[in-house]
Amino acid sequence: MKTYFKSIVLIISIVLTSCTDVIDVEVQTAEARLVIEASLDWEKGTIGNEQTIKLSLSTPYFNSEENSIVTGAQVSVINNNNQLEFIFEDQNNGEYTTSSFVPELNHDYTLIVQYNGETYTADETMMPVADLDAIYQSTEEGFDDEVLEVNADFVDPIDEENYYLFKIQKQNDLLPVLLDISDKFTDGNQISVYYEREEDEDINQEEFAVGDIVDVEFYGISKQYYNYIGLLILQYESIGDPFSSTPVALKGNCVNTTDTNNYAFGYFRLTQKVTASYTFE
Amino acid sequence: MKKLVVLCILFTSILSAQNKHTISGIIKDVNNGETVFGASVFLKGTANGVMSNEYGFYSITAPEGTYNLAVSYLGYTDIVQEIVLNKSQKLNFELSEAATQLDEIVITAEESESVSIRKPQMSVSKVNVATIKKMPVVLGEVDIVRSIQMLPGVTNNGEASSGFNVRGGAVDQNLVLLDEAIIYNTSHLLGFFSVFNADAIKDVKLYKGGIPARFGGRVSSVLDVRQKDGNNKEFKLTGGVGAISSRLAVEGPVFNEKGSFLIAGRSSYAHLFLKMAEEKNSAKFYDLNLKTNYILNENNKLYLSGYFGRDSFNIEGGFESSYGNLSGNLRWNHIFNNKLFSNVSLIYSNYDYELTIDAFEFDWVSSITNYNVKYDLKYYASDALKLDFGINGIYYDFDPGAIDPTTETSPINPLQLEKKTAFESGLYVNAEHKITDKLTAQYGVRLSSFTRLGGQVLVDYENELPVVYNNTLGIYQAGNSIGETEYSKNDEIKTFQNLEPRVSLSYQLNEFSSVKAGYSKSAQYIHLLSNTQSVSPLDVWTPSGKFIKPQLSNQYAIGYFRNFNDKKYSLEIETYYKTVENRIDYIDGADLIGQNTIETEILNGESRAYGLEFLLRKSKGNFTGWLAYTLSKSEQRTLGGAAGGPGINNGAWYKSNHDRTHDISLTTSYELNKKWRFGSNLVFQTGRPVTYPNGEYQYEDITIASYSDRNSDRLPAYHRLDVSATYTPSRKPNKQWKGEWVFGINNIYNRKNAAAISFGQNRETGANEATRTSIFGIVPSVSYNFKF
Repeated sequence: MKTYFKSIVLIISIVLTSCTDVIDVEVQTAEARLVIEASLDWEKGTIGNEQTIKLSLSTPYFNSEENSIVTGAQVSVINNNNQLEFIFEDQNNGEYTTSSFVPELNHDYTLIVQYNGETYTADETMMPVADLDAIYQSTEEGFDDEVLEVNADFVDPIDEENYYLFKIQKQNDLLPVLLDISDKFTDGNQISVYYEREEDEDINQEEFAVGDIVDVEFYGISKQYYNYIGLLILQYESIGDPFSSTPVALKGNCVNTTDTNNYAFGYFRLTQKVTASYTFE
Repeated sequence: MKKLVVLCILFTSILSAQNKHTISGIIKDVNNGETVFGASVFLKGTANGVMSNEYGFYSITAPEGTYNLAVSYLGYTDIVQEIVLNKSQKLNFELSEAATQLDEIVITAEESESVSIRKPQMSVSKVNVATIKKMPVVLGEVDIVRSIQMLPGVTNNGEASSGFNVRGGAVDQNLVLLDEAIIYNTSHLLGFFSVFNADAIKDVKLYKGGIPARFGGRVSSVLDVRQKDGNNKEFKLTGGVGAISSRLAVEGPVFNEKGSFLIAGRSSYAHLFLKMAEEKNSAKFYDLNLKTNYILNENNKLYLSGYFGRDSFNIEGGFESSYGNLSGNLRWNHIFNNKLFSNVSLIYSNYDYELTIDAFEFDWVSSITNYNVKYDLKYYASDALKLDFGINGIYYDFDPGAIDPTTETSPINPLQLEKKTAFESGLYVNAEHKITDKLTAQYGVRLSSFTRLGGQVLVDYENELPVVYNNTLGIYQAGNSIGETEYSKNDEIKTFQNLEPRVSLSYQLNEFSSVKAGYSKSAQYIHLLSNTQSVSPLDVWTPSGKFIKPQLSNQYAIGYFRNFNDKKYSLEIETYYKTVENRIDYIDGADLIGQNTIETEILNGESRAYGLEFLLRKSKGNFTGWLAYTLSKSEQRTLGGAAGGPGINNGAWYKSNHDRTHDISLTTSYELNKKWRFGSNLVFQTGRPVTYPNGEYQYEDITIASYSDRNSDRLPAYHRLDVSATYTPSRKPNKQWKGEWVFGINNIYNRKNAAAISFGQNRETGANEATRTSIFGIVPSVSYNFKF
C-alpha cells in the first residue's frame, strides 16, 4: 500500500512541478551598441560631489569575453537650471569621473556624450527620496512564514506620484536583487518591502542565517525611469515562465542626435538615495 | 365541354404533379432515449435527404408515392422502412447501436451516401464522443479540447496554455458554447484538462470556417458542445476513477417518463495527497453538469441545463487563485407544423476569477457576465430548400477588477476599475438550396450590431490619441489626458453594425467526390486582453467601444472531398486564406494589470493566415484512425497609425504567437479482440515563435539581454507519442455492471518539449544561460471506467 501511495504522489508531482534545465541554444548576434550607465546617485547626508559614469559596448549574448570597454569619449553633464557644467574625466577603463558635481533636488540636468563621431544626449530630473523608517528582520511578513527575511519600511508622501528603486545584495553574493515600486495602489501609506531567500539547491541558494549581512540601497526615481527599470527587472526575472510577456528592446533616455537609429542602451538618472546595512541575529 | 374536360384533366394532373407531402419526426436512441443529432434521413434511390437537427428533428417533403425511407447514423444499425406517401405524416424512429465487433467509429464530417459529399457546409468537423473516448487520455481524463487539436488546422499554444487556436487564429476568436451558453475559459489547471466532462457530452462540432449565419461574435471558429439529455428509459450510473481525478454521472427518467435528467460531477483530489505528503502547494478543480428535460406534448419540449466549474490554486499558503465558469440555459422546442421547427433559449453565463496574495495583503476579483436570449427557427420548405432564420440578443456586464485590502494594516488602497456594459444583437437568415442535382449552395447573411452602453466615465485625450509615439525616446507612451466625460446609464458610447455574408457551394463531381468553396465575413465585438506568451486564466475580456474597434474577418476556403474503397477511406483537402482587421497588439512594456485605461497600451493592427489542410481517415475495420497535416502561416502587423511612429516591430509583419508551419497528427485505434483495444497519438509541430536575445551588456552590476525582432526565433519542434491500452474484462450478459481499465503512457519517449525558454544569468557564476521549462515528461496513468 505504501509503495502504491508513493507512486501516486510521484505521478502527481511530475505533473505539478514542471522541470527546468539548462540547454544550449543558438541565438542571433546584433552589432555592438554603446551602453551608457550614468547613474548620478546622491546619498542623503553627503555632499554628492563624487560621481562616476560608465561607458561600455554590448557583446554577443553567449560570448561576453569580447572587449567591451569604451575609452576616448567626451562626457559632460549640465544643470539646466543654473547652467553649471561638470566634465567627467576619462579614466581609461570605461569609467568617467568627476569630484565637483553639485546635486540639487528637482533640478533638470542634461548629459552629453561624444563617442565615435556621434553625439548622445539625455535629460532627467534629480529625484528626492523618503527616509527609511526602519529596517528589521522577521519570518511572517514574507511569502513563506518559516523563512527569515529582511524588511524595510518607509512612508510614501501623499497626493503625489512617487516611484522607488531598491537594490539589495547579501554580502558575498555575486548578484544584487532589484525591486521597483510605485505608489499607484498605496499612495500616502506606509510601504513595507521584504527580501526573503528560500533554499534552492538548483542555484545553490540558502535561506538567510544569523550573521548574514545585507546591504540595502533605496532610491527615489522618476516615472520615466520607473517604466524603464520596471521593464528591465521584469525581463530579467522571468526565468522559465510561460506567462511572461514578449521581451522587447529596452530603450533608455539616451538619444543619438547624429543618427537616431543608433541609440544607446542604459539610462541617465539622477536620484537621491539612502543606504543601510542589516545583520541578521 | 371538351375544353372544360381538358382543363380539368390538366388541372388535376398539375395538382397531382404538385402533390407533395411531408414526413417529419424525432430520431432517438432506443437504449436511452437521447435525441440523435446528425442522423441521415433520406429516401432511397432519390437525392432527397436531410440530417436531424440538434434536437433530433427532421422533415422531408416529397411527391406522392411509395418510398424506402432510410435512417442511418454512424455506429448504429440502419433502419429502412417502406412508406406510402399519400398524406403528411409524423414518423419517429429509434436507432439501436450497431454490434460492437466492428468498431466503425471515427471523426466524420457527415455520414451516408447521398448526403455527405453534397453538403455545402465545409471546414467543419463533427466529433462523436465515443471516438474521443478511444483516444489516449491525459492522466486518465478524456479530453475534448485535446482531441480536437488532433484535427488539421487546430493547435494550442503550449502545454501550459488555456484554449486552442484554429487556422492561425487567437484563443479569444473561438466561440465556445456548452448547450448554447458561452464558455469563456475552456481549461482547468492552466490547460491540462478541459472544462468538458466527456460523460455528460453528447456531440461536439467544430466549425473552422464557413461559420453558418446563425453563429456570430467570433472570427475564427465555433465549438458547439451539446450535453446529453439524460436517459429517459432507465436509471444509469457512469463514472471513472483516475490517479488525478474521478467522475460520476447519474441519469434517468423523471416526470413519469415524460422527461429525463442528467447530473455529472468531476473532481480532482491530487491536492489531498499533496497535503499528506506535506507539500504546501495544491491545485484542484471540480465541475458539475446538469440537464433535465420535460416533454409537454408531441410538439413541445422544455430543457434546463447548467454547468458550474471551478479551479483553485494555493501556493505555500500565501498565494491563492480561483476561477471558473457558471452557466444556465432554459430552452423551449416548439414544432409549429411538420415543416417548421423552433427553439427559444434564455441563457445566463458568468466567468470570474479571484486572486489573493497574503504577503501583499490584497485580494482581486474580476468577472464577465452575460444574459442572452435567442430565437432560432428552421423551415424545411421543400426537398430543394431549407431556410433557417432567427434573432439573438446578449447583454454583457464586464467587471475588469476590484482590488481590496485583506487586513487593516495592508498598504493597498481599495480600487475599482471602471465597469463596462454592452449589448450585442444578431439577426440572420440562411438558405440551403439544392440548385441542381450536382450543385448545392448555402447562403445567408447575419446583421450584427453592438452598442457600448454608458454608466461609466471615460478619459478624454489630447487630439483623441490615447497612445502617442515619443520621437525622442523612440517608444510609445500614453497620450495626454485632458479631462473626463461621464456617460450616464442611458447613453450609448458607441454603436457598431456589420453585415456578415456567409456563402458556400458544393459541386458533386461524381458519386464519391466533390469540390466545395466558401466565403464568410465575421465580426467580433469582445476581446481577450493578453500580452503574455501563453494565455492565462487571469487575462481580462474587454468590449469594443470608443477606443477599441471590432475585429472583422474575411475567410475564403476551397476544398476537395473524396471517399474511396467503399467509404473505408476518406480524404479531405482544404485550403484557406483569412484576414482580420483591427487585431490589437500591445506597445512594448505594456502594463495591463490593474489598468483602467487599456487604450493607452494598445495599437490597432491586422493579421492574416493561410494554409493547406489534409486529412486522411480510415473509418472501417479493426484498425481505424486518421492522419492530419497542416501547412500554414499566421502573421500580423501593427502600424503606428494615428499615434505616429513605425509601429510594433518597426511596422514589419511578424509571426503571431500561434504560428506553426507544420502540424502533423496521427491517431490510431486498434481493436485486437473483445477484451483489448489499443490506441496511439503521435504529434509533431514546428516550434512556437519566440523572441530571443541577440546581445548583452552590463548595467547596475547585472547582465542585461537585448532582444531581436519580435518572434523571429522559434522554440525547438514539439513532438510526442502517447499510447494507451484498454482492457474490458468479459462479463456475464446479465450483469449490469460494465467496467474497463485504461492504461496509458503519455510522452512515451520522455521528450522534454520546451513550454518556454528563458535567458538569464546564473546566480553563482554570473554566466549567461538558457533555461528550458518543460511540463510533461513521461506520464503513466491508470484509470477505471464503469457503467451501471
